[in-house]
Amino acid sequence: MSAEENPAAEPAPVSDVQGDGRWMSQHNRFVQECKDAEPDVLFVGDSMVQLMQQHEVWRELFSPLHALNFGIGGDTTCNVLWRLQNGELENIRPKVVVLWVGTNNHEHTADQVAGGILAIAQLLLSLLPKSKIIVLGLLPRGEFPNPLREKNASVNNLLRASLPRLGHVQLLDVGGSFVHSDGTISSRDMFDFLHLTAGAYRTMSMTLHELLLQLLDETPQERRASLV
Amino acid sequence: MSGDSNPAATPTPCQDTQGDGRWMSLHNRFVSDSKGKEPDVLFIGDSLIQLLHEFEVWRKLFSPLHALNFGIGGDATQHVLWRLINGELDHISPKVVVLWVGTNNHGHTPEQILGGIMAIVNVIHQKLPHAHTLVLGLLPRGKSPNPLRERNTSVNAQVQAEVASLSHVSFLDMDPGFIQSDGSIAHQDMYDYLHLTPQAYQRVCQPLHECIKSLLDKQAP
Repeated sequence: MSAEENPAAEPAPVSDVQGDGRWMSQHNRFVQECKDAEPDVLFVGDSMVQLMQQHEVWRELFSPLHALNFGIGGDTTCNVLWRLQNGELENIRPKVVVLWVGTNNHEHTADQVAGGILAIAQLLLSLLPKSKIIVLGLLPRGEFPNPLREKNASVNNLLRASLPRLGHVQLLDVGGSFVHSDGTISSRDMFDFLHLTAGAYRTMSMTLHELLLQLLDETPQERRASLV
Repeated sequence: MSGDSNPAATPTPCQDTQGDGRWMSLHNRFVSDSKGKEPDVLFIGDSLIQLLHEFEVWRKLFSPLHALNFGIGGDATQHVLWRLINGELDHISPKVVVLWVGTNNHGHTPEQILGGIMAIVNVIHQKLPHAHTLVLGLLPRGKSPNPLRERNTSVNAQVQAEVASLSHVSFLDMDPGFIQSDGSIAHQDMYDYLHLTPQAYQRVCQPLHECIKSLLDKQAP
């Protein structure tokens, strides 16, 4: 599916409907951070990424890996694509990029969302040819079974097959434990049946952290004079 | 302003446009919580209330006060009004109700938002005649000066004036000085220039905690 056919793969900024320009302020801050920082890991995506940085687990597990967090709540694949094409990858060479986006693509089908995520992965690989990409699977959502759970699962299945063909990209699905045998999701894991609690972030971060360490180990270290 | 002509004061549930019924799930959980629990303090409002529950500060300062959290992200005054009329206040008798809502009332004037907040205050008083309502001031938002900051400031001034004569309601200004000398708000305080970081929550919650404690002490045991 080309970008012309897939609306989920069309880069688009968020327009300032509310009147306080917050989305653009956050984007500009990230562009500025690219000028000053030398991250080894870049996290990019929606509120699932953004909120992670507000919990202890970020300071404990990801800050030590020199990670930057470019998450913006509400973002779709279109918004992330636009941000990455408009400055958020300039001057940085992260060894690993963690991408988590797609659950907010309400206007798009599962096929289109998967296509949007693939387009972002392709962009990352073309601009950062030495980086490895981890795409986090979309989590189930809602207290009870509902169409969005099926949609997100479909997206994950499509990605599982198509991502590895692009190169150093893999899908990491951390959503397995959230749906209980009675089909419900607990508010102890997702306080609003969408966003993760501190405890749930901690659990999924362990898995992600392990994979990051593995990928960072595989990457040849660049010599830096400052480390001596 | 009557409920008919003020959308901010017309009880309205949130429509399930996304397809996973999360708003109603949360409302239903709050209603069933109100059947099982006996809170002394009830927090109700939007994401600024909801997210408060997710950080250490809740466990340290508010759990010990036997508090319940009925916050839902995105809620405007008309949504909170609907929730309170439709079960969330039944079966409980908290001594203090903490209300923080209004910043999501997009498209409404400060006067309409005031009307929405006062409609909520009145419903609380009808259902819980012995409770004291603490209305929290809306915070500034956005990285730089913008119309929403002015709107929120205007709402605060009007609410403060309106509740001055009421013995069962107080207004608390929640802004410890987030706006810096150059007019900007720091992302260390509001990571998206709207929602509070854990450290900013610590800052605003100290005085809130003191205020609630003194209200609890004043109430008859």
